Amino acid sequence: MSTDSNDSTAIDTHSRGPLLLLLGSGVLWLVVSGVLALITSIQLHTPTFFADCAWLTFGRAQALRETAFVYGWLANAGLALGLWIAVRLGGEAMRAGNWVVVGAVFWNLGVSLSLVGIAAGDAAGHPFFQIPSYAQPLLLVAYGAIAVAGVLAWAGRRHETGFASQWYVFAALFLFPWLFSVAQVTLVWLPVRGVLQAIVAGWFAQGIYSLWLAPLALACAYYLLPKISGRVLPAYSFAVFGFWTLIVMGCWTGGRHLIGGPVPAWIASVAIAACSLMVFHYLVVFLNFRSAIGAKSSALYFTSFGLLAYLLSGLVEAVISLRGVALHAQFTFVEQAVQQLSLYGAVSMVFFGALYFAVPRLVGKNWASSSLVGGHASLVTVGVVLLVVALTAAGVAQSHMMFGATQPAKFAEVASATRPWLLVATAAQVALLLGNLMLLVNFAQTVAALVPFRAAANSVSRPALKSVLS
Amino acid sequence: MKNGPLFFLGLFASLTFSFAGVVLFSNYQLGGLTPYYDDSEGKSFPERLPGVAARGQMVYRDLGCVACHTQQVRRPSFGNDQAQGWGERQSVARDYIHQSYPQLGAARIGQDLTNLAGRKPSALDAEDLMKLLYLGQGAMPAYTFLFQDVKVSGQVPKTALKLTGKSAPLPGHAVVPTERAQVLVAYLLSLNTAYDYPESRPVVKTAAKAEGAHK
Repeated sequence: MSTDSNDSTAIDTHSRGPLLLLLGSGVLWLVVSGVLALITSIQLHTPTFFADCAWLTFGRAQALRETAFVYGWLANAGLALGLWIAVRLGGEAMRAGNWVVVGAVFWNLGVSLSLVGIAAGDAAGHPFFQIPSYAQPLLLVAYGAIAVAGVLAWAGRRHETGFASQWYVFAALFLFPWLFSVAQVTLVWLPVRGVLQAIVAGWFAQGIYSLWLAPLALACAYYLLPKISGRVLPAYSFAVFGFWTLIVMGCWTGGRHLIGGPVPAWIASVAIAACSLMVFHYLVVFLNFRSAIGAKSSALYFTSFGLLAYLLSGLVEAVISLRGVALHAQFTFVEQAVQQLSLYGAVSMVFFGALYFAVPRLVGKNWASSSLVGGHASLVTVGVVLLVVALTAAGVAQSHMMFGATQPAKFAEVASATRPWLLVATAAQVALLLGNLMLLVNFAQTVAALVPFRAAANSVSRPALKSVLS
Repeated sequence: MKNGPLFFLGLFASLTFSFAGVVLFSNYQLGGLTPYYDDSEGKSFPERLPGVAARGQMVYRDLGCVACHTQQVRRPSFGNDQAQGWGERQSVARDYIHQSYPQLGAARIGQDLTNLAGRKPSALDAEDLMKLLYLGQGAMPAYTFLFQDVKVSGQVPKTALKLTGKSAPLPGHAVVPTERAQVLVAYLLSLNTAYDYPESRPVVKTAAKAEGAHK
């Protein structure tokens, strides 16, 4: 079974301290964002929920949820898994592990500070860019410290030939600070004027997904699938074209959210064309991974679910970016459904798969409970599917009543028409939260085997402990 | 991709390409947009927000109103924003040039607010908006934290909400808006993009029609 620890290597045990710190913080943030997602989901059908609390208005809770999810869970987990792959493929023990620990501590302090700031009303107010201005430099510096280990792994790699997963990891590590610093300068320190902010924010948000999160997820997939299935990827020679299509076209698709908006029409037109060109990238991913779908191992199950969701989200984006469709899908829950499909269904699921594969190797022990792994898999699958379906259905109902009408829409009626579906979405959030709690418990129990006071009971050797503490 | 430096150069160039295309070029196109001076009216549009309304925009922004309300009207031939009564013309980039933080928004869980103060036949006034914020309506929650319940002895404060029935305060009490509520309402009352810029008018293909008529 792929979630066994039997091929754990010295490289893994050497880097376990920093990487488990990142993964653990990520899983904690995942649960925090799950609680916040539940709050926002309830607020959608029961507006009075927490309404008298200025810290948790719907707008603020939404920004909190997004920040905890993207910068808490996805960033921590993605960086840990990316570094793990980089170090393993580099063939040398991780260097600058201490930098990763310091970076991880400050990154998580930065995310905590951001959440407090957003709750107090200091959000920067752009999609994927809610972090208050005072927390941004901290996050950038902390990121730099974490990425040092990645740079050293690239510089000291033993094999000159790069693997597809390496390209994706290094692209993600290298492009995030570029994007993030540009966004800071143009949106916070020297803000551009008027609607330009929306254009830059769209470019940035798309970059975060296409040039950072998606590459990290694809790096995991390109690393795991051949390793677990023991088969060569059928279209590996095409992988390079898929890679460059994503890197070159990715950011251009950001303008699709501004179709019909107060911006020059070419921004939308270019985005629509780019969305169609991106289909090529998704095709290459599909050709490479089609054989993995339907596999038995739990790591492979999550990964192939994630890849299917990734393909689906790419195709859906290409379709709903077309002007005639965008006209109806814009401003409705359909957009949220697509976002959840790509962030939760695609990126998170691939990360779950890689996490189930990596942790036993880092710890040198199997997962504490295999039934919790199974429970997590079922609850998260049900949760993601229900969430996406419910939000899509709510969006369709909303669009029909709001954009199909020839007279002013009554928002109370729209609310009552979407309410049943929003209740289903809340049920989905409950399933996701329960599932992720299972992951947290299982992770804590598995890692607890390494903690000193339980060392005697679990007979962990002293050298192993030393490497955790160093 | 054996060549490390070339690989990183490729990455750098790809992102620079989209940065130059999307950010720099649109900045070149829109960054120098100036207000439009109308000779017949003797002033330029859009007008700057009065100070109190500009402060209200900060409240609007920090409460996250943008999560449910857009401030962008789509053109009459694209969608039914006009039929909804949200605006007679499409929003254009010039509408936003004086705003430090334009709140375009991406979700319409509530109505579009671009022209809230210019609704026809009648727009909400300050008192309606205060009541709406205090009591909520339909999918809109009641933001009671923007108000204070104060004890009154003698004259009721001028700003006190006129509430009746179940929502009325206890005898000897009054509900008064905080400063944040007052500036927010001032901002909401300033939301109106009535002026018609040359670029906001629909394109009429008169030249083509005239040419056709001659033949």
